[in-house]
Amino acid sequence: MGFLTVLKKMKQKEKEMRILMLGLDNAGKTTILKRFNGEPINTISPTLGFNIKTLEHRGYKLNMWDVGGQKSLRSYWRNYFECTDGLIWVVDSADKRRLEDCKKELFVLLQEERLSGATLLIFANKQDLPGACSKEELRDILDLDSIKTHHWKIISCSAVTGENLLEGMDWIIDDIAARIFTLD
Amino acid sequence: MSDKMDPLISIENFSEKPNKINLLTKRELERQLNIQKRKDDKELLSASNEKLEIFEAIFAEKKSYIESLIKNSRNLSKNELPDHFNTISKEILTLQKYVAASNIFLRHYDLQRCQNTLQELTNKAKYLENELLPKKKFSFKNRMKEKDVKKEKEDEVDSAVFKPHVPAIFNSCGFFNRSDETLNMLPSEIFRKDVSLENLENCIVILKGTASTLHLNHLKNCKVFTGPVSTSIFAEHCLNCTLVIACQQLRLHSSENVQIYLHVTSRAIMEDCKDIAVAPYNLDYKGVEKDFENAHLEKNVNNWRCVDDFNWLSEKHSPNWKEIPEHERIQRWQEIE
Ligand SMILES: Nc1nc2c(ncn2[C@@H]2O[C@H](COP(=O)(O)OP(=O)(O)OP(=O)(O)O)[C@@H](O)[C@H]2O)c(=O)[nH]1
Ligand SMILES: [Mg+2]
Repeated sequence: MGFLTVLKKMKQKEKEMRILMLGLDNAGKTTILKRFNGEPINTISPTLGFNIKTLEHRGYKLNMWDVGGQKSLRSYWRNYFECTDGLIWVVDSADKRRLEDCKKELFVLLQEERLSGATLLIFANKQDLPGACSKEELRDILDLDSIKTHHWKIISCSAVTGENLLEGMDWIIDDIAARIFTLD
Repeated sequence: MSDKMDPLISIENFSEKPNKINLLTKRELERQLNIQKRKDDKELLSASNEKLEIFEAIFAEKKSYIESLIKNSRNLSKNELPDHFNTISKEILTLQKYVAASNIFLRHYDLQRCQNTLQELTNKAKYLENELLPKKKFSFKNRMKEKDVKKEKEDEVDSAVFKPHVPAIFNSCGFFNRSDETLNMLPSEIFRKDVSLENLENCIVILKGTASTLHLNHLKNCKVFTGPVSTSIFAEHCLNCTLVIACQQLRLHSSENVQIYLHVTSRAIMEDCKDIAVAPYNLDYKGVEKDFENAHLEKNVNNWRCVDDFNWLSEKHSPNWKEIPEHERIQRWQEIE
């Protein structure tokens, strides 16, 4: 048995998933992660490198990787692609000025060979702000319908109110589980 | 809300169940912890240095181990190579996790340095793998693509500096394309909203009250006064400005010659900036205390000195920002009186 097969078997047994959170700086990645985990969110600083959190949810062990999105950090994103089961792309729905940037960075990622099997969840974050784009608008602006290479879904949420965070997580977990864990 | 999040439990928070530990072991444990704590207190100062040293040593050791693995690749037979490269990427991953776990006490430039090392190792291994196991047709193509994309990005950054652009923003709260004016919004107009100031020249802007977030874009020769903003302030392309602002996070990009009187409860960062000067927030108006409460910002926690410059990776102070010496600070703001 090859090494990768062994690794895959191990992963299956432990029901472990690796989920990578990316998006432009200020999108709310770290806030979403801490909010999930019931930690305070008002002391969060811009991320200098990355955070890893291991969460347990519905019997799955989730290794969450949250990487900083500053321009000068984006070239490091590729260091984290290996073995990714799910990608959560976080969007600041109220930052209309940078939606073009956001779209460009997302589509660069989708070309990445090492992410080709990953499930893609797009979190349309900051829905509590009156100026936020709806997920329908974002679907249009980010041209999501042209994504044919990945299973994807867009879900509107707010890390501040907590709205829809669980729904999003549940969807990505179900999608990954259906793909990598056999029903036995 | 947070109780709704119950099913998600951090593994880090799991502690051993006390009833499972017998009392004696527990007491012994406490005793040791106490000794440890006293030791910790005494060595508080040197502790973080020590941690760093241990980290550096382990990191260096792991690094040279991985390097030796990479070097050894050429001595292996073809059928050993797939496993070999899997081992290497697993080792790199482990090292990455180690860096992440040490995140708390690492300084910005330590992290950047580790990131660079990790990337170099990854690249070296990938390069060798492609050379020795050239099975994947796509890798070359992909690399070309990446290069193109990178080039595009650089061009764009060059042309964007200080060039005002037409805001694609409708039904937004804020001020756009104005010059030589004093602009004012009432607390009720900005309460819990996302507010934008864009393409302003020679303006004074006063925003008392508590916005949820604030975006500044292409401001020239402006003065901006705000009450406490409950989340982040994102500022880009500000030239010759004075900002008197309070927020949870400040993110300053591509700006030059900006004086900031700052209250920030987490941290401020800057990227591609120069001639930035900071001092503590000193705006005092009727109701400012109440506004801090409404914004859920601690009035007593101000990290105005904690500025991280993403373009500066050395231990020395960044040349791109400084503190405004006390005697040079403006004490009273006539603009808001
Ligand atoms: N109003 C509102 N603000 C939010 C929401 N989510 C995050 N924020 C705020 O947005 C700012 C940025 O959040 P972070 O979580 O630090 O963003 P990030 O994506 O991790 O940014 P980097 O670490 O720089 O990549 C913070 O001030 C948060 O409080 C949200 O749903 N609504
Ligand atoms: Mg972050």
